[in-house]
Amino acid sequence: MPRKPSPRGGQSRNARSGARTPRRAVSNGSEPRRSGNGPPTSRPGQAAPAPTVALDPVEQLYARGLTDGLPVVPPTRERVQRALEELNRPADELIAEVPPNYGRATVEKIAINAVMAGCRPEYLPVVIAAVEAVCDEAFDLHGVSATTNSPAPLVIVNGPVRHALEINCGAGVFGPGWRANATIGRALRFVCVNLGGAVPGVVSMSTLAHPGRYTYCIGEREEASPWESLAVEHGFAPTDSTVALLAADAPLTVYDQRSRTAPDLCATIAASMAVIEHHKMTHWGDTLLVLSPEHAAIIAGDGWGKADVRRFLFERLQRPVRDLVPGRNGGDGLPEHVLRKFADPEHDVTLIPKFRKPEHIGIVVAGGSAGRFSAVVAGWSFSGGSNLVMRRIR
Amino acid sequence: MTEYLDPTDSVAVPRKTAPRPSSLDGKVVTLLDISKAKGDHLLDRVEELLRARTGVATIVRKKKPTFARPAPGPLRQEILDASDVVIEALAD
Repeated sequence: MPRKPSPRGGQSRNARSGARTPRRAVSNGSEPRRSGNGPPTSRPGQAAPAPTVALDPVEQLYARGLTDGLPVVPPTRERVQRALEELNRPADELIAEVPPNYGRATVEKIAINAVMAGCRPEYLPVVIAAVEAVCDEAFDLHGVSATTNSPAPLVIVNGPVRHALEINCGAGVFGPGWRANATIGRALRFVCVNLGGAVPGVVSMSTLAHPGRYTYCIGEREEASPWESLAVEHGFAPTDSTVALLAADAPLTVYDQRSRTAPDLCATIAASMAVIEHHKMTHWGDTLLVLSPEHAAIIAGDGWGKADVRRFLFERLQRPVRDLVPGRNGGDGLPEHVLRKFADPEHDVTLIPKFRKPEHIGIVVAGGSAGRFSAVVAGWSFSGGSNLVMRRIR
Repeated sequence: MTEYLDPTDSVAVPRKTAPRPSSLDGKVVTLLDISKAKGDHLLDRVEELLRARTGVATIVRKKKPTFARPAPGPLRQEILDASDVVIEALAD
């Protein structure tokens, strides 16, 4: 499985990155900051810098409103050129128009955003595939970027590219420490904001959002999985490298140290899955179950495949109408057009499923070798909403 | 300032909103429900007030299939062809 690179791993290729940094004293932060007179591109929370730091490249990019709050790598012509040379595709090739503003994501524009995010040139094909996927109509990036709900595009990587780029699939898979995971997810975010217009608080009106909006990229730990990978399940060859994009909520950790059988463990998982979005939400769509290697081994040890897990969860996650009426354990519940189908919903025992189909429960194996923790990652996938979209990495 | 390449699409320009009419007298007003819960409650009340307080000629009610996506092209064209004013409701 891909391992964490050495502490200096991934750094050497950008050794020239300091060449353009002006040798100026950096402010100690004690000067009063200007406020309220930033340039027109300023975004909320990105006020113009004090004059003494105005020539610092990092501060200039803050002042132009082009960061996510963390510093970005200045997209100099040289850096972008280096990324494009490695890619060997025409710079003006149009990959997609990015909703909701439909800015043109050419190869060059994607490269500029990838450089800013800190990507190495060889990450670019992954970023391009991710941009293609989120701009597929089925993903509904318009809705994902504009909703008051919290989704962030989660990139799930399969295939040999995980090894080639040292994409983390193991310990701390959702966490920091790996350049590829950190910068590929961040590059996609920059494309959504800079080309799609998803500026927080302006177009992107998410009430809470979640930290995955900084970056959200994992690899599947195929080598520790008892089953075929997400990509192979979707018809790709094991030798293909792919991305799968899910408009995803934050991961919900599922703790279970003591289950030793598939039904026991899946009962635990079902109870956590039952509350995603709202405990009375029904007819939900694509959602991801991330099983740790230890949990996957317990389930596979009973001879269960992914389809058995899905079937178990689907069947268990059904509730009678009477438990889903608005006003019972919360004001939300079944919508009126569904309630109208039942003469006496308060007492009706007809079972309504949490998910529209078992196939909406995607399963991958990821995470460290030790630890009986899995995660449920809810999609933003009500009927008519976003769907999981996959693309082969070219 | 150092020259950096532009990560945004400078070709994409913000669209301007259509000119607002000074009066609703004789106008065709479309009320567009985006399919959020209780959007119809809000628009029912808006319709009531428009009828009571203005001289609108016609009020047309339309509904998007889902709030999660833009209105389909044919629906947008239909509204564009038939209306002077559109009021869109976001509820919950």
